[in-house]
Amino acid sequence: MKGVCGKLLDIDLTQGETKDLPISDEMIEKYLGGRGLGARLLFDMLPPNTDPLSPDNILIFLTGPLTGTAAPGSSKFVVITKSPLTHGWCDSYSSGRLSVELKKAGYDGMVVRGKSNHPCYLKIDDNGVEIREAGLIWGRDSFETERILKEAEGNPSGGVTSIGPAGENLCKFACINSDLYRQAGRGGVGAVMGSKNLKAILIRGTGVVESHDRKRIIEFNKEFARRSRKSKMSQARMKYGTPLTLNFTHTGGILPTKNFQFGTWEKALDRIDAKGVQRMVISKKACISCFTPCSLITRVSHGKYRGSTVEGPEYETLSMLGSNLLIDSLPGIIQANILCDKLGLDTISTGNVIGFTMECFERELISPTEIEGLEIRFGDSEASLAAIEMISTRKGFGDILAEGVRRTAEHIGGDSERFAMHVKGMEFPGYEPRGAFGSGLSYAVSPRGACHRRAWPPAKEILGNYPPYTVEGKGEMIKESYDVRCILHSLLVCDMPGSQIPIPLEGYSQYFEAATGKSLSVEDFQTIADRVETLIRMFNLREGFTRKDDTLPHRTLFEPLPDGPAKGQCIGEENLNRMLDEYYETRGWDSSGVPTEETLKKYQL
Amino acid sequence: MNVIINVFGPEITLKQEVVLELISPTLKDVMRDLLEQKGGPWQRILKNDLSLAEGCVALVNGRNIMSLGGFETKIHEGDEITFTVLVAGG
Repeated sequence: MKGVCGKLLDIDLTQGETKDLPISDEMIEKYLGGRGLGARLLFDMLPPNTDPLSPDNILIFLTGPLTGTAAPGSSKFVVITKSPLTHGWCDSYSSGRLSVELKKAGYDGMVVRGKSNHPCYLKIDDNGVEIREAGLIWGRDSFETERILKEAEGNPSGGVTSIGPAGENLCKFACINSDLYRQAGRGGVGAVMGSKNLKAILIRGTGVVESHDRKRIIEFNKEFARRSRKSKMSQARMKYGTPLTLNFTHTGGILPTKNFQFGTWEKALDRIDAKGVQRMVISKKACISCFTPCSLITRVSHGKYRGSTVEGPEYETLSMLGSNLLIDSLPGIIQANILCDKLGLDTISTGNVIGFTMECFERELISPTEIEGLEIRFGDSEASLAAIEMISTRKGFGDILAEGVRRTAEHIGGDSERFAMHVKGMEFPGYEPRGAFGSGLSYAVSPRGACHRRAWPPAKEILGNYPPYTVEGKGEMIKESYDVRCILHSLLVCDMPGSQIPIPLEGYSQYFEAATGKSLSVEDFQTIADRVETLIRMFNLREGFTRKDDTLPHRTLFEPLPDGPAKGQCIGEENLNRMLDEYYETRGWDSSGVPTEETLKKYQL
Repeated sequence: MNVIINVFGPEITLKQEVVLELISPTLKDVMRDLLEQKGGPWQRILKNDLSLAEGCVALVNGRNIMSLGGFETKIHEGDEITFTVLVAGG
């Protein structure tokens, strides 16, 4: 099949050995790539109940069949593993050169096993892989690591993917960085990489990714670029980036504020929203293989952090390290963003953990003496920066915070678990579910924990024609959204061109055919999505998850939202159960959330 | 009556207070009135036939009009009306 290499690079760090792992065309037709292929591989390769931070866990990097073909948004890769944060399924997505370089080096992905007996990095090129000593870069932040490796190798155009000190210190929400500002952020994939003593991957491929009909891909690109120029959604996205989402979530009453106590925050407007960010934008950037530059480069123009530059901050960071902490200083948020990127922390989980700690402090559940003398109050940007340092080094109370919000709440006790905002141990992202009940269901059933990537219910419930505070039809709505994202994340393309240009699934079906020469219809895609989501469910069931884990925090279920359009709303246990029942039924799972025999047979599982 | 208008599109306008000479209007009435006020930030989103440009929606007090009364949604003194492109993603 064109468009794919038909093999993965299999690296055993314990033995110091590498080999090729063939991937058949049939596997691509059944699972596409990315999330889908990763589901099959993780299910088959990982023994049940493996300790996520043991050498037995595997870390899978995957591309997709459109990677390297010039289809828009196709420079993504996914990292798949068992999460140290949730002890369940984890898929974490990033842009970066690694995707395209890996494919050009002749691989669809790589599987990293075992544990090196010393810090190491991988050098991958057309000739294969070398496992190299990483003494010089161990302990360095991600930015320094990238600079040092590129200089040492005399290879400035290669891609570097690395972990920061947080990953080395096994922080449970450590991320994997690429090309300075891109992260596979969620679920603690950086800790798994750190547990293997793997600091970085330096990669450069010079081969050509052959497409079945490259001319046709170029024609599609021209057509979608034309549509993009006409699309108001696309134009707004390219001008304002994801910060525009903050204006919308505040208006719709779903902006996380003060550790999810409120759903609106007037002080955010014109300061940390699209207008505020726009004042610090110095340039824009597109990912490789994309004609819609929607990434903003911002630079602080005044004050203590003058000159600090970042690609971002994205909406999730603005909400979780901004409104959720009552911090309205954009320079402070940019500095926190840079610190997280350098140290290798997921900004979403970090903001959530700090917000939780601030609420505990406010409620006098913890005192400064327990947190190294830190007075960690809402609105205190400096305290938030200090907490980020503590988490990444695991210094003092940072050792507890680095375990994530669930385990921090267990440590603090009292009634703190009521406002520990997580699902399955993974922290909430930037959407308040009491203002859009479908978000609650989406978080609850997500196999990786509270996730904003599998569905984006606000588009349906705040901007679409689904009523936000009801439950009927939400199971079906979430399944439909999950399936679309599953297809995109298995082809491994960015969500943005699909939603903003927009490119319908038929368009991706055509891209797939032009890339591979194999025809898969939208209906075929749908079957693949059903197969993949059910297989991932089976993985989590095997790890001991049950319906009881598809739940929401006490605050979301029982505390009425005090402000905004959704004032007075909370989801309630009965409503959650009704949505779960409907979701399971539409998936072909029984009332316990277990796929029925008929479903397994239907999807050839 | 006074209403608050937000526009989130290729241009952004936050909380612009607009005075309307209308009694008990619907959203459609408000849109007609806004279109008559030439040069407002809503011009790129509101169409002359009193519909919205492709990929755009209207919210009243944070709620999509499709889950309220559509373009016939009643507008009251102090209501906040938002015309926005279909924002997605974070």
